[in-house]
Amino acid sequence: MIDMGEVLQTFIAESQELLQQMEQALLDIEQNPDDPDTLNAIFRAAHTIKGSAGLFGFDLIVAFTHVAESVLDRARSGELPIDGTLSALLLEAGDHLAGLIAQLDAGASLEALPPGIITRGEALIGRMGQYLEASPSEARGEPATSASATASEADTGRDEGHWHLSLRFGPDTLRNGMDPLAFFRYLNTFGRILQVEALTERLPSAAEMDPETCYLGFELAFVSDADKATIEGAFEFVREDSLVQVLSPAASPDALRAHLDALPEDPADAGERLLRCASVSRAELDAVLAPVTAMTEAPAVVAQTTLMKAPVDGPVPAAKLRGDNSLIRVDAGKLDQLINLIGELIIAGAGARMIAQNSGLGAMVEATEVLSRLVEEVRDSALTLRMVQIGGTFNRFQRVVRDVARELGKDISLQISGGDTELDKTVVEKIGDPLTHLVRNAMDHGIEPLEVRRAVGKPLQGRVSLNAYHEAGGIVIEVSDDGGGLDPQKILAKAMQRGLVTDGQTLAEKDILNLIFEPGFSTAETVSNLSGRGVGMDVVKRNITSLRGTVELDSTPGVGTCVRIRLPLTLAIIDGFLIGVGQASYVVPLDMVEECIELPPGHLDGRDYLELRGDVLPFIRLRQLFDEASTPPRRENVVVVRYAGTRAGLVVDQLLGEFQTVIKPLGKVFHQVSGLSGFTILGSGDVALILDIPGLLGHIPRTPNDLRQASPVATLT
Amino acid sequence: MSQPAASVIEASDDAQQYLTFRVGQELYAMTTDCVREIIEYAQVTPVPMMPTLLRGVINLRGAVVPVVDLGERFGSGQTALGSRSCIVIVELGDTEQPQLLGALVDSVSAVRHIEEGALRPAPTFGHALRTDFVQGMVRVEDGFLTLLQIEQVLSICELAALAGQRHA
Amino acid sequence: MSKTILIVDDSASIRQVVGISLKSAGYSVVEAVDGKDALSKLDGRKVHLMISDVNMPNMDGISFLKAVKQLPAYKFTPVIMLTTEAGEARKQEGQAAGARAWIVKPFQPAQMLNAVSKLILP
Repeated sequence: MIDMGEVLQTFIAESQELLQQMEQALLDIEQNPDDPDTLNAIFRAAHTIKGSAGLFGFDLIVAFTHVAESVLDRARSGELPIDGTLSALLLEAGDHLAGLIAQLDAGASLEALPPGIITRGEALIGRMGQYLEASPSEARGEPATSASATASEADTGRDEGHWHLSLRFGPDTLRNGMDPLAFFRYLNTFGRILQVEALTERLPSAAEMDPETCYLGFELAFVSDADKATIEGAFEFVREDSLVQVLSPAASPDALRAHLDALPEDPADAGERLLRCASVSRAELDAVLAPVTAMTEAPAVVAQTTLMKAPVDGPVPAAKLRGDNSLIRVDAGKLDQLINLIGELIIAGAGARMIAQNSGLGAMVEATEVLSRLVEEVRDSALTLRMVQIGGTFNRFQRVVRDVARELGKDISLQISGGDTELDKTVVEKIGDPLTHLVRNAMDHGIEPLEVRRAVGKPLQGRVSLNAYHEAGGIVIEVSDDGGGLDPQKILAKAMQRGLVTDGQTLAEKDILNLIFEPGFSTAETVSNLSGRGVGMDVVKRNITSLRGTVELDSTPGVGTCVRIRLPLTLAIIDGFLIGVGQASYVVPLDMVEECIELPPGHLDGRDYLELRGDVLPFIRLRQLFDEASTPPRRENVVVVRYAGTRAGLVVDQLLGEFQTVIKPLGKVFHQVSGLSGFTILGSGDVALILDIPGLLGHIPRTPNDLRQASPVATLT
Repeated sequence: MSQPAASVIEASDDAQQYLTFRVGQELYAMTTDCVREIIEYAQVTPVPMMPTLLRGVINLRGAVVPVVDLGERFGSGQTALGSRSCIVIVELGDTEQPQLLGALVDSVSAVRHIEEGALRPAPTFGHALRTDFVQGMVRVEDGFLTLLQIEQVLSICELAALAGQRHA
Repeated sequence: MSKTILIVDDSASIRQVVGISLKSAGYSVVEAVDGKDALSKLDGRKVHLMISDVNMPNMDGISFLKAVKQLPAYKFTPVIMLTTEAGEARKQEGQAAGARAWIVKPFQPAQMLNAVSKLILP
């Protein structure tokens, strides 16, 4: 059998993409209800999901999608206008399907769904069904292939019996791509053809003969234990143009008579052929043919009616779906594998380079340098393969904004820019949740109620914007609103109340605003429906930090708020800076390293800060933190790192230089460890640890100001 | 020792295969179903701030694998390194997201078949191990063999929780 | 030499499942994402059977069928159309274009293999 596991992933990914397109199109159609292309896109999405789901035997999805498709088909044919209610219903249907797909994705069976989902599905089918009641022809779909089979089910022959088939192929059989011989071959897959007699009467003279026209007819004796439906089924594709008569084994005289009558030739001649095929005995034939002289010309009429139906011509509207066929669709897993391999290549390359350097062979060193440069280029272009535009993610928010605005009773539009900015797919996949929260937050807490906006003379419709752009090797995503802005005093008061800030502290306004990312902070004065969701801004910050990103906030009272997320372009391979503490090596992401200085010797014992060009620089002694027992070197170094506006020093033994760092995830065991963000493998094959700078900086006082207030600073010269 | 232990196996149908090994003086066994390979102890990078039972991580052909000191895990003290020290690479978790873990042991003995009938329940007291670590006891030539519930001994959740606490 | 089947469908999962089923039954398979792609994939290649979806972007199945019927090398090649019961109007268009073999979506791989074997054996 087929291994469905792998293909199932294709189905899931494809369905998710189609559902997204369907959702987008449903949102578009509200603006532009008469656009046939958009409507077609919606229909096609449902249609394709149904088709694929059937292939996997997901009957539940098939049944559900069938109803949606039928509704859409009516809409497409103009019988049904798509209004707000219907599009909302269809959006819900899309959500339900997405839910079912998510079940599959999670490895759950559709046989054992939570009852809530089942009820929801049934309710939706019911609601969609109301749009179908006007068209009784739209019955629950039974595949047409089985319809003809059931008709003759009663007429089954279980034992291996002698069947007789009379075939008169239609003139267009060849032109329709059908080869009469193919049907004989197929019959032989479940039986044996005993005897064939060809009818050549219809063949015209050579001069008149059209080589593309089929003039053939056959009489066939066939032995098989298949039932009648199966045998008739062999001719499924020619039945419309051809005459196919199947006589069951041990057929009654009436059945034999009917069989002969159905043939276009004289029943007596036809009977002779059956006799020659040994399908009937002389006695049987005589018994049936005896009264025939009195018969009318009815058989010819019967034959006529079975001929081809008149063709119907019509325009062929081209269906169009968003998507570009010059693009290749590649399994994301394959890309991941490629990037993993390149990671291994970098590690192996580093090993080769190290050996070359140790060998002291100049030419060898040079060769490995060239190789390293090439590997770096391969790395960069491979990483771009996994880059996707953020627009897809942004567009999903049209729906969020629409739904949430309705929920809040506010009029809010979403403005999207920079949708073509690219970033690593693995980052994109993880940015959805934090963005959702920020957008909801902007709508709920940012945009003022209508009366307030009217009172201050702002446009009544609020605006939430999503913007993205590249900046210094990373991507910046902005979520902004034109709402009331944040009040620094209110935030400060609340922060004090929560014990996040102590009384004597003086904070810059920006630092105050960013306090809302601290755990357990909420700025809403009244608890609204949305803020009851239990996700705070601290979770947003944590999510973004786990992507090695940062988040900061700007706000102008009365004008609006902008949350700015900075993310690395990729989570796979970074430029790192290698440092040594004791015997171990650690990596600091290079873009967080500001400078390296030597730790001034002597009088620093017990202090965790020094002065760097007039500023206080707090530092962390990694030896201490990591409980390193070995003797420190004579001279220690300080790596000055900066992250999210905080600057600090890391006291280390050795500075080992820049290092192409292939990030290996921490894995489940080390997942909760703070201070580490991953592993990497050095040229020597040893494992090195990647430091989690934001996590480490969390250990030291927030700003130099705090520090200055905490204790007087010893100035170094 | 770096060869997979499969060569020691003799075919038998109804008996389960177990890898036997020593931690301290004791003889233990774990099902071979989850044993991926056995490697010599080498190049273990210590991870700072970890409890002592997490010896560090190794590079197993590009995968970073945590190494658990079974001596520490069993409360019998840090495993002293010797020429027969081995890391048993174990694959745990669901097939979707398997997790590799290394178990540091004093030595690996053999793969042997143990009939289900030979299994005796662990004594409820007098045994040094946590009861959930033990699947049962088996009498062998030179004493008793403790059959481990390896997914409990190397419980990823538990290890992660231990690692999450600060241990500097 | 195994028989070659061209499968034209914009759904990757359908192509994949149909492709695997056909291959495991002993056919060779060529895949195309739409009618236009399919015509370019034909390009003189010996194809014994085509399976085409009806509703596809760029060039739909009916237009593809019409185009195939214009190509001397392929005009007698059997074509199985994949359709849905909702597409009765399209079916008539397809019949006019010479389509006789239909498989109604959703279908099981076995149904499809059975239909194919009526027209060609591997």
